[in-house]
Amino acid sequence: MSAVHLAAPPTPTPPVGGTSIEVAATWLAQAAVPRDTTLAQWLLDPDTWTGRAGILTSLADTVVLVVAVIVTSILLAVPTAAYLAHKRRAELASAWVVNIGRAIPTFAIAGLLVPISLRAGYGFEPWPIFIALVLLTVPPMYLSTYTAIKQVDPAAVNAARAMGFNERSVLFTVELPLALTVIFTGIRVASVQVVATEPIRAFLGGDGLGRYVRDGIGQNNPTLTLGGALLIAILAGGTAVLFKGLEFLAKPPGVRRLSGGESTARKVRRQLVSD
Amino acid sequence: MTTSTPAIRLRGVTKRFPGSSEDAVSDLDLDVEQGSIVVLVGPSGCGKTTTLRMINRLIEPTSGTIEIEGQDVAALPTTQLRRGIGYVIQQVGLFPHRTIEANIATVPRTLGWDKGRIRARVEELVDVVGIDRHMLTRYPDELSGGQQQRVGVARALAADPPVLLMDEPFGAVDPIVRTRLQDELLELQSRVHKTIVLVTHDLDEAVKIADRIVLLNVGGVVEQYASPDQLLRQPASEFVASFVGEDRSMRRLNLSTVADLPYHHGPVVEVGASPAQARSAMEDEGSEWLGLTDGACFLGWVEGTEVVDGRRLGDLHRFLPAAQVRPDSSLRNAMEVILNSRTTVAVIDDDGAFGGVVTLERIRRALAAPAADDATSPEGALPDAANAGTAAADPATGHGR
Repeated sequence: MSAVHLAAPPTPTPPVGGTSIEVAATWLAQAAVPRDTTLAQWLLDPDTWTGRAGILTSLADTVVLVVAVIVTSILLAVPTAAYLAHKRRAELASAWVVNIGRAIPTFAIAGLLVPISLRAGYGFEPWPIFIALVLLTVPPMYLSTYTAIKQVDPAAVNAARAMGFNERSVLFTVELPLALTVIFTGIRVASVQVVATEPIRAFLGGDGLGRYVRDGIGQNNPTLTLGGALLIAILAGGTAVLFKGLEFLAKPPGVRRLSGGESTARKVRRQLVSD
Repeated sequence: MTTSTPAIRLRGVTKRFPGSSEDAVSDLDLDVEQGSIVVLVGPSGCGKTTTLRMINRLIEPTSGTIEIEGQDVAALPTTQLRRGIGYVIQQVGLFPHRTIEANIATVPRTLGWDKGRIRARVEELVDVVGIDRHMLTRYPDELSGGQQQRVGVARALAADPPVLLMDEPFGAVDPIVRTRLQDELLELQSRVHKTIVLVTHDLDEAVKIADRIVLLNVGGVVEQYASPDQLLRQPASEFVASFVGEDRSMRRLNLSTVADLPYHHGPVVEVGASPAQARSAMEDEGSEWLGLTDGACFLGWVEGTEVVDGRRLGDLHRFLPAAQVRPDSSLRNAMEVILNSRTTVAVIDDDGAFGGVVTLERIRRALAAPAADDATSPEGALPDAANAGTAAADPATGHGR
């Protein structure tokens, strides 16, 4: 969490309780671009990338918050779901968690949290958006983990117990390795969602990549809006690809083959070696 | 079998699942002799799997005691207990994320054997169960169902447990592979001499591989505990009789071979015999066919109507024996041959020599006769022996035609 604090731009943070005019003034000062600039010109201008309002700083802001949210959500959702699913407990509650999770309007939650945060002296950022994003992310991660553990072949689990595995070993050496792929899918989906939702932070007194969309709207400058949206989309896509890769690496070798679709060569070989 | 303590002893074992008003298994007493294969068989809901799973405490009994080689299983930690009991299930349950080698090595690893010993044991086991060594680095999904089940058996045997529990081990493979795996199990057992408790719903499988069969009724009540032959010959109750079915005599045909029948020469004479001798031989047997031999060699059949005074038997038209069986053929096989033959008699071909004949009547008589081993069978010490005894009075097969 401290990482989020550090990453928040230190100087131009809107003063606690500052008026919206002051805040708006800061924004305008930071990402003003002439309206006749094309998207290509904007992206190719080195000044767009550097400086306090530059893309690199904004990207870092976004990435730090996103990573903090994902890590926190994993730590909250995965162990809890894995344990409960192993014990086959709270199946009904698990369904609720997911339904509630779907129904949460992230923007509204964050918006509601802002005045609370301000009153408690924590400022606009990053707690309200952080909490709202964690609430957005935990349900899909929880559900995928719970389902993943539950769908592990009961015969393998049964056999493990029958061979004298204790419950801990059943969970850690059988259920988790076999569930990992599905767990990672949940993490991937949730992470892409976080990346795509994080920019609302710019409308709640924060920065990050969402600032270009916000500033573009504020200045009636479509280039800026479009450029910001493009950057967000690229980051979301990159996240998806990154996690796809991790997902593949997480598959145990014997299982990697299973879900990857059987190659013809392998089918033939199996035919040949079968009795 | 002279061991005094049974390998597995159940006393008053009862299981009632929470929320159920009926016992799944009620007051079950059972002794399993060391080195024998006992098969639990019965209709669904008879508690056979529950009984099996109580032995390694995958299910805890509600009451009663279970001992393995004199040791109360409830007194051991479950992990330690289970590492000493092999367990094979229908779905095999190999770990898909581990190689065949790692799968087989599961229990030895848990027990902390050193690598060399594990490796040696794994290689020994794949040879025993008939898996190629080059498969060791493969993953379970690369193996056929039959191979997977062999690996499952190897995994169960890995730490050399004295007791092996098998829950419908051959239920998921096709009939041809199943037959082969059954044969392999019997062959394996003749070498490893484990105490095996096996659950199946397939009576034919039970009859084939069991030393003794426990027939359970719904609620885990033992209807009969007997050798396969006795179960089929002397069902202890209506239930047993109906479970083993109308064709139980047919099933028994699988248990005996032609060599088990008393020697029967049949309507067969030397080729040099007189027509009068030949007719008398046919009359004794009530046969319309006459077999001719020349020493140890069977020459063929001649039609009875052709046997008249004044014609030499050797000159008559001979039919070569189409119906032939070997001494190690099952009676079922012999019957099949006879039903397809013209002569109602099968000739026993004992390595080229005439070994007598088999007729339907002889097979029928063999099934009707009480088994010679009844007096020596080890029922004596067991609680259900009385049941089996009373049933002996019932006509086991229909006498007279």
